[in-house]
Amino acid sequence: MNMYLHELKSMRRSTLIWICAMIALAAIYFSVYRGIVSDAAGFKRLLGGYPEPVRAALGISVDSITSLLGFYSMIFSFITLCAAIQAMNLGTSVLSKEVRERTADFLLVKPVSRSAVVSAKLLAAFTMIMATDVIYYLAVSLMASMVKTSDYSGRIFFLINLTLFFIQLIFLAIGVAVSVFFAKLKSVIPVSLGVVFGLYMIGAIIAAGKDNAAARFISPFKYFDMTYIIKHTGYEPSYLIAGAGIVIAAIAISYIIYVKKDIHAVN
Amino acid sequence: MSAIEFKKLTKSYGKSRGIIDVNFKVEEGDIFGFIGPNGAGKSTAIRTLLGLIHPTSGSATIFGKSCIEHPQVKKDVGYLPSEVFYYDHMRVIDLLNYSASFYKKDCKKRIRELAEIMDLDLKKKIDDLSFGNRKKVGIVQGLLHDPKLIILDEPTSGLDPLMQQKFFELIRDENKKGATIFFSSHILGEVQRMCNRVALIKEGRIIKLEKMSDLRENNYKRIRIETPAAIDRSFFEMPGVSKLELKDHMVNFLFRGDINTVIRKISQTNIANLLIEEPDLEEIFLHYYEKEGETV
Repeated sequence: MNMYLHELKSMRRSTLIWICAMIALAAIYFSVYRGIVSDAAGFKRLLGGYPEPVRAALGISVDSITSLLGFYSMIFSFITLCAAIQAMNLGTSVLSKEVRERTADFLLVKPVSRSAVVSAKLLAAFTMIMATDVIYYLAVSLMASMVKTSDYSGRIFFLINLTLFFIQLIFLAIGVAVSVFFAKLKSVIPVSLGVVFGLYMIGAIIAAGKDNAAARFISPFKYFDMTYIIKHTGYEPSYLIAGAGIVIAAIAISYIIYVKKDIHAVN
Repeated sequence: MSAIEFKKLTKSYGKSRGIIDVNFKVEEGDIFGFIGPNGAGKSTAIRTLLGLIHPTSGSATIFGKSCIEHPQVKKDVGYLPSEVFYYDHMRVIDLLNYSASFYKKDCKKRIRELAEIMDLDLKKKIDDLSFGNRKKVGIVQGLLHDPKLIILDEPTSGLDPLMQQKFFELIRDENKKGATIFFSSHILGEVQRMCNRVALIKEGRIIKLEKMSDLRENNYKRIRIETPAAIDRSFFEMPGVSKLELKDHMVNFLFRGDINTVIRKISQTNIANLLIEEPDLEEIFLHYYEKEGETV
């Protein structure tokens, strides 16, 4: 419990900043929503001018763009990118920072097992992600109800936002698993940005192609298709299972490697 | 039961040498010195003992248990690493309380006592502390839970002589209260002052394990003499003198034996300056290597 609280304390600042950034981003987009609706025809024409693959890559669906859910699912891909970076940063740093900040010698000679250390840290990171997503969801719900021009399905809106939590969970787990393979991870940002942007670009390329059901497994960003969610009020089970598989495998690997890892002296 | 036991402990890092076949015991209540030059493998041995790194073969146990399989055994261990780093954004007292929270006992009183002895300001932020003051945090942190085994890895670097003195007193007091002390250092004098028994390590192997009193009998002194006029080499050729070098008016040699005999000898001649010092560790090691060579 003491380790968990200590971790929470050390993460709270950055989490707060990420929450504010994501809410601010959503607020900026929502602020132009009414303008878009009032000139729907012109906006559709503008977007229609983009080639089809570009629209697909950016997640733009012209038909539904002026409905609140359609609009939100377009801007949501940028929010997702933000959230993925946050989660990946958190995951990559949570275990590796003890070695980077040279405090491993302090923590790991305490009468606790390595797996207890991993558990406390993972739980703290998980808590921070939960907090991020809950606060973000409350904020965007409020914003959506303020700018809406007609009623929308609250259930679908919730399902869309819940994918944020899944995506974060996946990237958190990937981040932790990546970090345990480094003897000493000097800097977290290049690794986490590299992986997140890499997968995001791959996701965009996959989206632009046709017949991509199999290719979509490569990028977690493509596990949750907004058009599908809006149409079916649910998720595609195969991708949901793939996401869960990644999380379980990554966390299992993290435990196994971290428990066996040598913690070398600083020099 | 031994406080510490190394059994055929080997740790290799790929191609580079770690430690090879380390074998010894430290009995409860002992003050045990672990001495060797930098890079000899002292820290590797200690880190394996604490479960920070995993042995390639053999074992290292504390009170009969391995730290890796029985992490709870670490509740009786206080460890002071050679370089102290802590969570920078914390205040000293917060860090110490965090440290205490792992031990399920009330350490508040002991923290205050230790901080007073070491003259440590508990309210400061750790980022603002000098190297020496961080070291003090490390000392308090290592002792606040009244450990039964205290492991010190080059503990005095960064402490001024007055603090070193206080620190040694503190360690002796802990020992009187029953704590076992395992003291790693590359400074022979320090170990000689503190320890009952000593293990010498070089290039990953234990080359000597003995009582401090035996090591003292083998007491080598490095003697440097400056004479006003050149002096004949044969003057200093006497039992106990080795590595005799004469250069201009300087005489330089190692002496082993009754110090009075060499002092009497020196007093028979006119000298300009005299320096008697502890030989450095390398020279002591050299001596053991030579002795080993003789027996082979």
